[in-house]
Amino acid sequence: MRHGVLTSLAAVAALSAAALAAQTTAGAETTSAKKSWTVPRLADGHPDLQGIWTNATITPLERPGQFAGKATVSDAEAAKFEHQNNDNLYGDRRSADAERDRDHAYNALFFDRGTELARVDGVKRTSLIVDPPDGKIPPLTPEARNRMGNRVRNRFDSVQDRPLGERCILGFGSTSGPPMMPVLYNNNYQIVQTPAAIMILVEMVHDVRYIHMDRREHLPGSVRLWLGDSIGHWEGDTLVVDSTNFTDKTSFRGSSPNMHIVERFTRVENGTILYKWTIDDPESFTRPFSAEYPFRAAVGPIFEYACHEGNYAMPDILGGARAADAKQKN
Amino acid sequence: MRNRVFRFSAVTAVLAMTMLPVAGQAPYRAPRGPDGHPNLNGIWQALTGDWDLEGHAARASLIVEAGTLLAEPGGMGVVDGGTIPYKPEALAKKKQNYDNRLSADPVVKCYLPGVPRATYMPYPFQIFQSDKYLAIAYEFDSAFRNIYLKDPGPAPVDSWMGQSYGHWEGDTLVVEVTGLDERTWFDRAGDYHSDALKVTERYTPVAPNILNYEATIDDPKVFSRPWKISLPLYKHAEKNAQLIEFKCVEFVEELMYGKYRKK
Amino acid sequence: MRAKLAVLFAAAGLLAAGLPAWAHHAFAAEFDAKRPVHFTGTVTKVELINPHSWIHIDVKNTDGTVTNWMFEAGSPNVLLRRGFNKNTIAVGTEVVVDGYQSKDGSLRANGRDITLPNGQKLFLGSQGTGAPYEEKKEQQ
Repeated sequence: MRHGVLTSLAAVAALSAAALAAQTTAGAETTSAKKSWTVPRLADGHPDLQGIWTNATITPLERPGQFAGKATVSDAEAAKFEHQNNDNLYGDRRSADAERDRDHAYNALFFDRGTELARVDGVKRTSLIVDPPDGKIPPLTPEARNRMGNRVRNRFDSVQDRPLGERCILGFGSTSGPPMMPVLYNNNYQIVQTPAAIMILVEMVHDVRYIHMDRREHLPGSVRLWLGDSIGHWEGDTLVVDSTNFTDKTSFRGSSPNMHIVERFTRVENGTILYKWTIDDPESFTRPFSAEYPFRAAVGPIFEYACHEGNYAMPDILGGARAADAKQKN
Repeated sequence: MRNRVFRFSAVTAVLAMTMLPVAGQAPYRAPRGPDGHPNLNGIWQALTGDWDLEGHAARASLIVEAGTLLAEPGGMGVVDGGTIPYKPEALAKKKQNYDNRLSADPVVKCYLPGVPRATYMPYPFQIFQSDKYLAIAYEFDSAFRNIYLKDPGPAPVDSWMGQSYGHWEGDTLVVEVTGLDERTWFDRAGDYHSDALKVTERYTPVAPNILNYEATIDDPKVFSRPWKISLPLYKHAEKNAQLIEFKCVEFVEELMYGKYRKK
Repeated sequence: MRAKLAVLFAAAGLLAAGLPAWAHHAFAAEFDAKRPVHFTGTVTKVELINPHSWIHIDVKNTDGTVTNWMFEAGSPNVLLRRGFNKNTIAVGTEVVVDGYQSKDGSLRANGRDITLPNGQKLFLGSQGTGAPYEEKKEQQ
């Protein structure tokens, strides 16, 4: 019995090493390979974006203070940051402080955030945001600040007080987006192209994005969707996806239901889609802002993430709060 | 949804009847997809099956207040031979499920419906068929299945929608589904299975905008022999047909977690 | 809502490198740091489910009775891609587990470390798990 477990563990360790080796070689493409690569195309002549992709990266959305004024860094500088980050994220997270120890119980084996800063045009990036040039989300409008201030935060009175991710309605951290953001794990996406619609399966919460290629008009404003209404068209070899019609139940860093986001998908080299997005939402942000980062070919497969079905934590969390209420009364 | 179904049945069902092949005619040859096989791309929906796979008369609503709105329509049944061949001891469990269906049906809680039920629930689904992929996205609860075209090997764990492995036999897409979670039901009438379930589906174009759907159910723990359902799937013909999010988790939170609300 | 998460996270404090390390739900909301638990027991069931896996363990009490505890781990999808399956940790395996009990007092805890009696750490733990970054460090 025990022997069986250990054999499996050894097998798992070997597998992870192999997976890592695969990742590493994919990252270090030779110049000659790049030269010989041409954009793969479908029968209709458009680029083939299909496959399983990951947007895992440790480059943060906004530029950290230590990189102020530097949109890119040399590989040597990047390595320093990567070591610091990876030791912290993937290293021994046990702590003598009980609260910290409890909170850090997720450990490296479950994480899949990647180990490197995002590389675009051959250079490592310090933030996903590229415009404004300081790599920061532009300031919120007074209206948005007011809206955000009125939101319920960290309350446990009912399930509706809890974050959408915890409720298994959407993935935490905007995995389905748009914009589709990397999080701590399961950053996998599958693209399937058909003439009427391009499908993007988001691993987290098995969300499916439908990019409608057969209409140019958005749905009427009365139809508001969790993932918005996405229509697509090709500009040269770039798939351009335009999304509106969001609900007032989601918000990306303070965005309003009237957020307008344009995403661009371009095959730029073997195993890489460059993903760019621009958010224009004058109700919330004082100016539009843009980000770009790669989606890289992933091994897969994508497994079912049936979140709600196994959400044992929700009764624990709400039940814990009610137990605390009862204690307070006595 | 109901409106949609009715509108849809009025138009498409008439179309369907006029186009069904009659004996002696050459078999229908469907337009080809990008992979050279029949093109299954589109939005499809069944009109029968979910209330009860077996033939049944109409029944009163389980919720008195809902009156006729949630009364259960009768149906001719979709089981070959009419009856599901339960083992005697398993039939008792089915009857118990039926009696408790208002709370015991996993779909009440917005749990993923599994296969084959996802196919004939009263919600549309979309087939995405490209030169190299085959996937099915369902409107209900954003259920999703990848149909692997190469043998993925045994499923590492069971999942609600199972693991699907497909191949073509002539113009029929044959999908073997294994690794299915034992907790799903086949319909609202409490028909169920065990963790030994294997489902073999067959999707065959039989007329423009109609697929014949067959599913063979093999589960020796629950049934005395494999059995089969068959029913037509109709392609949505509305100009603006598309799946619209049905993220039902939000709709069942009060049912499931209301008891934890702060008083 | 997403912003709410962000605010929550900011309040919880950023990691040194400034990267969010949030997961599906915060263990802080669910488990009580004042109730550490430590058991030796045998595995009765392994649920490799989302959002988080759960391992059920029978623990023998001093009076001879047995209590079944559930320990929460992370999302299994990454493990499955790394070759785990439903048989990797067999029912009947003897393990040592420590963690923190749930705030509602039920017999549930987050698995902080799970160790075989010989000291080999299984997948809940902190180091020596065979995670990719550790593999990489060993190669360097």
